[in-house]
Amino acid sequence: MKTFNPDAMGEKLLRRFAGGTSRRGILSRLGLALVAAPAFPLLPVSRASAAKPDRSPEAKTAFARSAQTTDDTKCTYWRYCAIDGSLCACCGGAVNRCPPGAEHSPVSWVGTCINPGDGRAYLIAYRDCCGKSYCNKCDCDGTDRETQLYVPQLNNDVIWCFGTTSMEYHCSTAVLVGTA
Amino acid sequence: MYRKVQAGLGALLVGVLAAQGFRRFRQKGPGQMKMMKVQGKSSLSVMGRNTAAAVCALALFGGVPAARAADPLQPDPELEAVTLSAPKPSWIFVERGFVMPGNAIYDTDTGKMLGLIEASELSDMEIDPAGKAYYISESIWTKGWRGTRQDMITVYDAATLKLKTEIAIPGRILIDSRKFNFILSDQGKTAYVYNLDPASSVNMVDLAKGKFIKKIELPGCASMMAVTGIGFSALCSDGSLATVKTAGAKPEITRSAPFFSATNDPIFDNFGYDRAKQQVVFLTYTGQVYTAKLGATPTVAEPFSIQAAAGVPAGETKPLVVNWYPGSRQGNAYHVASGHLFVLMHMGEYWSHKASGTEIWDLDVAAKKVVKRIPLEEPADRIAVTQEANAKIVVTNDAGTLVILDANTGEQKSSIKRAGSGLIRTVEP
Repeated sequence: MKTFNPDAMGEKLLRRFAGGTSRRGILSRLGLALVAAPAFPLLPVSRASAAKPDRSPEAKTAFARSAQTTDDTKCTYWRYCAIDGSLCACCGGAVNRCPPGAEHSPVSWVGTCINPGDGRAYLIAYRDCCGKSYCNKCDCDGTDRETQLYVPQLNNDVIWCFGTTSMEYHCSTAVLVGTA
Repeated sequence: MYRKVQAGLGALLVGVLAAQGFRRFRQKGPGQMKMMKVQGKSSLSVMGRNTAAAVCALALFGGVPAARAADPLQPDPELEAVTLSAPKPSWIFVERGFVMPGNAIYDTDTGKMLGLIEASELSDMEIDPAGKAYYISESIWTKGWRGTRQDMITVYDAATLKLKTEIAIPGRILIDSRKFNFILSDQGKTAYVYNLDPASSVNMVDLAKGKFIKKIELPGCASMMAVTGIGFSALCSDGSLATVKTAGAKPEITRSAPFFSATNDPIFDNFGYDRAKQQVVFLTYTGQVYTAKLGATPTVAEPFSIQAAAGVPAGETKPLVVNWYPGSRQGNAYHVASGHLFVLMHMGEYWSHKASGTEIWDLDVAAKKVVKRIPLEEPADRIAVTQEANAKIVVTNDAGTLVILDANTGEQKSSIKRAGSGLIRTVEP
C-alpha cells in the first residue's frame, strides 16, 4: 500500500536540488545578489515603505492592521490570522496547548501572520485539539491567505485531527513554528 | 358565536372536573382495584360519566345546545409515520449546522418542514436522480466518537426516510459545508467520495450493486464534477482542472493548462454546475467568473469580473482596497435553466472571502451582466436557488434563520427560524 512518506519526499527533493546545482553556481549567484543589493533601496516601492518595519503586503490586511499581542482569548490576537474554530485558550487550554484530556493533532494547516510587536511574519501551525466534543467558545475565523480545499494545508475548514486516537474536533491552537 | 363556544367549553370543563371528582370518590372505596381494571380495558364508562356531567353542567350554566358539546374527541388511532413523495424542485435540504447531525427537508412553497434525513455530523448528501433514495456519505464510530471508525454511504428510502442499506467505503474527508466532496454520476449508478487522510484520493462506489469499486489517488486536487462517460473533473492546487477517466483498471488523470491562481486568487470550491450540459461556472475570491465546458479535454473560457458586470471597479488582490467582493461559506448558487448565478456580495477588503453577504447579485452569466442587486435585511452566510421555472432564492445565516425570496423580483416570501445553519442543497436536474 502506498502511504504518505515525508522522508522519502524530502530526500528526493534534496537529491534533485543537489543534482541540479553546483558550488560555483551558488557562489556566482551569491556574488550577484551582493552586488545588486544596494540598488534595491533606490526603488520607489522600497522608499515609500522604508519607514515601516515590515514591507510585505501581508502586513496590510485588515486583520494585521487591528491585530494585538496581549490577549490570546480574542479573535484579534495576532497568531489567529488564519484560524477557524474555537480557541483552545478559551476552553481550558492555551494558545499552543490543548485543554485537559484533549489530544494535539500532529499535523495541521498553516498560516503566515504578522506580529505587530516586531513587524515580522511568522509561520503558525494551527494544530487542532481532538478527542472531545466541540468546545464552542470563542469561535474565530481568520481568513488571511486562507484558500480552498484543493490546497488543504492552507484551508481552515478541514477537520485536522489526523493521527489522533479520535477524530472528534474540540478546539484549535496556534503554535509558532518560526519566522516565515 | 365565540362567546357561546367559550361558555360551552367552560361548562364542559366543569363537567369533566365533576366527573373526575366522582371517580376519585369511587377509587377511595373497596372497589378501587376492579374499577382501575375496567378503566384500563375501556374508557367507555368514564366517557359516559364525563358526558353526563357535561350535560348537567350545560343545563346549569346554559350555553351551546347540548348535542354539539356532547361529542367528545375520539382517541387517536394507531397511525403509521407520514411518508413523502419523490423530491420536488421546490424542496430544499438544509444541513442543521457545524457538528450537528441531520438534513432537514423544507418545502419552499409552504415554508414547512417535511422531515429529517438522518446523517452523522460532517456528512454529505446526494439525491438519487430517480427520486427513490437519499444517499448520505458519513463516518460513525462504534462507541460514539470513540472505537472503530466506519465510513459508509448510507441509503435511505425517499418515501419513508427509513434505512435501506449501508455501503462500506475505506474513508472520506471530514469537513463542513462542501457540495462537491460526494457526487453521483451515470444517472446515479456511480458515486465518488473525496477522501483526505491527509493524502487526497477518491473512493469510487457502484451504487447499483451497492459495492465499493476502487480508490483513486488524486494528489493536489479536490472538489469533483461528474463528467458523463469519463468519470470526473476536479480543481487542482496548480490552478488546473484534472480530468479522471475512471473506467479502466488504472485510472487516467490528465490536467488542463493552469488557468487560475490557487493561492493568490482561488476559485471558491462551492461553484455552479449544470450536469446535463457539463457546464461549470467558477467564481474566484476577487470576483472573476470562469465558465468551463467539461469533457475528455475541458475548455475554459476567458474570465470576466462580476464587479465590472455590475458597473463597479473590478476586484483586486491588492491590500487596502475596499470594494464589493463575493464571499461567505456557500456564496453562490446557479440556476441551470436561466443561466443566472446568484452571488452573496459584501463590502470589504481582499481576504474577506468568508464574510457574510449583504447583497445578492443576480448575474446573467452568458450576457456577462449583473441584472439585479438585492439588498438583504440580515447578512447571509449561505445561498441556494431552487431549479423551478419560477425560481426561489434561499439564504440562511449562522443563527439558522432561513429566508425565501422570489428570484425574479427579489421579494421576501417567507422565513423560517432555526431552520439550520449548514449547507443548503436543492433538487438539481
